[in-house]
Amino acid sequence: MSKSSFLGADTIALHSGYQPESDHGSRAVPIYQTTSYVFDSVDEASALFNVEQGGHIYSRITNPTVAVLEQRLAALEGGAGAICTASGMSALFVSFFSLCSAGDHIVSAAQIYGSTVTLLKHTLKRFNIECTFVDINDQKAVAEAIQSNTKLVFCESIGNPGLAVSNLPAIAKTAHAQGIPLVVDATFATPYLNNPIEHGADVVVHSVTKWIGGHGVAVGGVVIDGGNFDWLKSGRFPTLTQPYEPFHGMNFWEEFGPAALAMRIRCESMRDIGAAMAPHNAFLLLQGLETLNLRMQQHVSNAQAMVTWLQQQDAVAWVNHPDINANAHTKLLFPKGAGSMLTFGVKGGRNAGAAFIDALQLSSNLANVGDSRTLVLHPGSTTHSRLSETDLVAAGIGADLIRVSVGIENLKDIQADFSLGLRAAAKVVAHQAEA
Amino acid sequence: MYIQVDNANTFIATGGKPFDAKLPTVVLLHGSGTDHRGWALQARWFAFHGYSVFAPDFPAHSLSEGEALTSIELMAAWLLRALDTAKVDKVHLVGHSQGFLVALEAAILLGDRLKSVTALATASAIPVNAALVETAQTNPKTAAAMMLQWGFGNSHQHGASAVPGMQPIGIGARIMANNPLAIDLAACNAYTQGPQRALQLAKLGCPSCVILAGQDRMTPKREGLKLAQALNTPAQVVDEAGHMLPMEAPKESLNLMKKFIQSVEK
Repeated sequence: MSKSSFLGADTIALHSGYQPESDHGSRAVPIYQTTSYVFDSVDEASALFNVEQGGHIYSRITNPTVAVLEQRLAALEGGAGAICTASGMSALFVSFFSLCSAGDHIVSAAQIYGSTVTLLKHTLKRFNIECTFVDINDQKAVAEAIQSNTKLVFCESIGNPGLAVSNLPAIAKTAHAQGIPLVVDATFATPYLNNPIEHGADVVVHSVTKWIGGHGVAVGGVVIDGGNFDWLKSGRFPTLTQPYEPFHGMNFWEEFGPAALAMRIRCESMRDIGAAMAPHNAFLLLQGLETLNLRMQQHVSNAQAMVTWLQQQDAVAWVNHPDINANAHTKLLFPKGAGSMLTFGVKGGRNAGAAFIDALQLSSNLANVGDSRTLVLHPGSTTHSRLSETDLVAAGIGADLIRVSVGIENLKDIQADFSLGLRAAAKVVAHQAEA
Repeated sequence: MYIQVDNANTFIATGGKPFDAKLPTVVLLHGSGTDHRGWALQARWFAFHGYSVFAPDFPAHSLSEGEALTSIELMAAWLLRALDTAKVDKVHLVGHSQGFLVALEAAILLGDRLKSVTALATASAIPVNAALVETAQTNPKTAAAMMLQWGFGNSHQHGASAVPGMQPIGIGARIMANNPLAIDLAACNAYTQGPQRALQLAKLGCPSCVILAGQDRMTPKREGLKLAQALNTPAQVVDEAGHMLPMEAPKESLNLMKKFIQSVEK
């Protein structure tokens, strides 16, 4: 069970947050494809607007289908509440936006997704929110980077694309010692492999577009409020502990306690920024979530087999996966395996790598991960192409790095496809030698 | 708002509006190990509809400092001191579970200052299994989990929430794990004056309202019906809710609460 449900994870993924509705008994979660909701009376409308009553007003703020996904994900991660958003990036943005104001500071892992680097390094800087990037597993560096105006420490539980596993208990200890919450992007892990809240995280973010959906047909994100952080005791979070004028002076900490952050995001970010998840997307993502546990077993099994297979190929220069020579915290955090992402380099560098990718027939060359199908990408020329050479090195991205999101196809078919790619890469190397 | 009671900083939730002792005051009393947040939605309605709300965190609970009180009688006496500090005169007392035991005891002490009593998911006596009290002493988180598993009704065990996106079990687990649950449970178990106090209130003609939960496994409906009988008032039952009634069915419980309190105010 998680800390928010007494059901097993497999059962939560199928049932939590929804019981067959009374009107028609629909077994599946219905799609409430509506912008708005009829009020019983003016009094009820007033009560809903003033948070005297739970319920739905407008689908930018809440929607019944989206709420099922939120409650299911909160239960799976053991959180106090969840807010779904239009994408993983908007989930990150509303998290940072709700905790930071102009003049504040963030400490972030250096090895993270390229767009998140851009958000932290450039976009938030325009709002006078600065970020210091550190080696997140160097606790001395993390502690030294924390300033009097630091509002959060951020990392990915498995870094994209370097695949370094963040030592969550150690990072949480460092952050908490200075009254700072730990925000973790757990997209690569999914709730099946690791629950960051159990290991000290205070806020968990997912791009649910990825493994949680699994089908690659809907974009979405979620912020899960862990509910354990004492925002008042920290003394750094007036957005949660001081009256919020636009909501009749609501004090989120006093009124909602463990769900203070989730309610602040709901009342402010969803209202003012409006990065809402579409109800149809929530429905599609729920279909994926129902089989997450089963799919992840196959993802991890295939990834581990591919690591072994790639290590045996002559054309492969190196292979990286967190389970290779796993350190103690990786074993602690990922007893079922550290995900289905792997990176490798082919001999011959960037040109050989390009030949590998272009020769593939089954695997897809695209900018996504966590699809049930095997996906490949060259981050240096795509997702991370806007990073400087220095930032690329800091993010652990070499010119030859190929990122693989191992799918759940038959293992032999993935290997046969990669054999095609490796033969093409070997030809490039041979040509280079001849030249 | 914060007030000083017995030299301890004491948090009183006021429903999001400044407390005004001149308005009719609704006192909302939380149950074992919980705090004012169980009344979050009801408190806001009263505060924004002509009432003042006085929903304390009892000493050593959540936002209040001080030593945890070890008996229902001590809690009732403390409540009177808190009301006096805030210069509150007449009150409607509303209690959930243990909170209603405190209300029963405080009602007698309040005398003419009492306007009405409202009971939610409770009984006139709340015997607590010795194993649960012992677990609460040695492992509060486990005891909180036991209570939440027992306390929430069917739909909430399946992840339902009156507030979209929230997980009431998760919220409750965090609140209860940090509060003096063992002391509260022992106080409930030791309190035996409830049935007598209920009869006294009925004799005094105190307006009363009893709201029960059909799926309550902690203070079963049959015990709540006995309380209603003693108070000489019909019981209202919310069928699709468990013991955590104010959180599980805030709209239904509020509708019954406000209908009753508004009728008394008329």
